[in-house]
Amino acid sequence: MAEALLPSARINLERATVLVLDDNGPSLDILSQVVSGFGVKQLYRAETVADAQSLIRTKTFDLIVSDVQMPVTDGIEFIEWLRRDGGETNRYIPVILLTGHTRTSQIFKLRDAGSNYVVAKPLTPKVLLERIFWVAREERAFIECDSFIGPDRRFKHEGPPPGTDGRRKDDLPAEVGDAQTPNMSDDEIANLMRPAKVQI
Amino acid sequence: MTVRKFRPPNRLSALIRDKGGILAKDAVAAAEAGVETLREASMAALDEALSEIESRFGKGAPDRNGESFEALYLLASKVIDVSMFVTEAGIDKAAMSLCGLADSCGTAGAWRWDAVDVHLNALKLLRAMGAQLPVEQRDAMLLGLYQVSHYRPEEG
Repeated sequence: MAEALLPSARINLERATVLVLDDNGPSLDILSQVVSGFGVKQLYRAETVADAQSLIRTKTFDLIVSDVQMPVTDGIEFIEWLRRDGGETNRYIPVILLTGHTRTSQIFKLRDAGSNYVVAKPLTPKVLLERIFWVAREERAFIECDSFIGPDRRFKHEGPPPGTDGRRKDDLPAEVGDAQTPNMSDDEIANLMRPAKVQI
Repeated sequence: MTVRKFRPPNRLSALIRDKGGILAKDAVAAAEAGVETLREASMAALDEALSEIESRFGKGAPDRNGESFEALYLLASKVIDVSMFVTEAGIDKAAMSLCGLADSCGTAGAWRWDAVDVHLNALKLLRAMGAQLPVEQRDAMLLGLYQVSHYRPEEG
C-alpha cells in the first residue's frame, strides 16, 4: 500500500521539469493549472504526441503526465515509444496517465504500456498530487525485456499466474497443501492473542 | 528471452524532498484556485462538445450512420475532460457511460442508436437541471444508463 500524502507533508517541485500532454486544449489548460499550482516552474505543454516527442528529444524531464484518448497517436503508443526510444535520460522517468475510461481491461493495457500510475478523469488536484507523491517515493524496479519495458508489474506479491509454477526462484506454488498441525481452537488463539496483566 | 531488472535513478524522488517547497494542503489549494479561473472556459468547452455530439450523433443527424465509433468515444471523452465543475450534476458519469457504449458498439461493429439516444437525452437533462434533481432520481437515471450501455462503474 502506498504511503498516504498528509496535508502537512512538505513537497518541493520547484526544480522539477514536467511535461503535460493532452490533445484537448481546455483539458490541457486544466492540467497545466493543476501542475503549476503544485509549484512546478518548468512546465512544458504538448497538444500532440509528435510535439511531446520533439520535446523529449531535446530536454530532460522528471515527470510526464499524459492523456490517453488522443486521435492519430494515443497515450499508449506514446508511452511504448518513450520506454523504447525516448533516450537514456527520459525513457525511465515516471509517467502518470489520465483517462476518462477506466474499465479494468483498459487499465491493464495502460499498465502494460509501461505507465507508473493511471488517474481517472475528471481530474482532481488532490488525487493527482497524491499520485505524484507516490511515484516520487516508490521504489519499484524497472523491467526491460522483448515484450515489456516499464515499472515492475508484479509488485503486489499475488503469486505466479494460475496454472503455472512461476519463473522466479522464490515463487511459491498457488496450492497451499494439507495442514501439518491441527487447527488451533478459539481458546488457544485467545490465549495467544489476549493481553494479560502480570504481577512482577 | 533476456530480462533485465534494475533500479534507474528517480530524479523526482530527490527533487521532491529538497528543502523549501510548500505544504501539500497549500499545493492542492493553489491548484484548485488556479483551476477555478478556468470554470467559464471549461463550461463553454463542455457545451461545445455536447452540441457536437448532438449534431453528429443525435436523432436528427442526417449522416450519423456514417460516423465512426471512435469519433463518439473521443467526443464523450472530451466531455469527461472538462466535467470537474459539473460532477454534482452527474454529467461526468453519464459521459463515462456513453464512452463505454461507444466502446462496446465498436467492439460489436454495430450502432445501438436507441441506447445512444437515451444517453444524449439524459446528458441534455443533466446539463439543464442535473444538480437540482433529487439524488435518488439522478442515481436511478445513471443506473438506467449503465444498464443500457453495459458500463460497470465499480470497475472504474
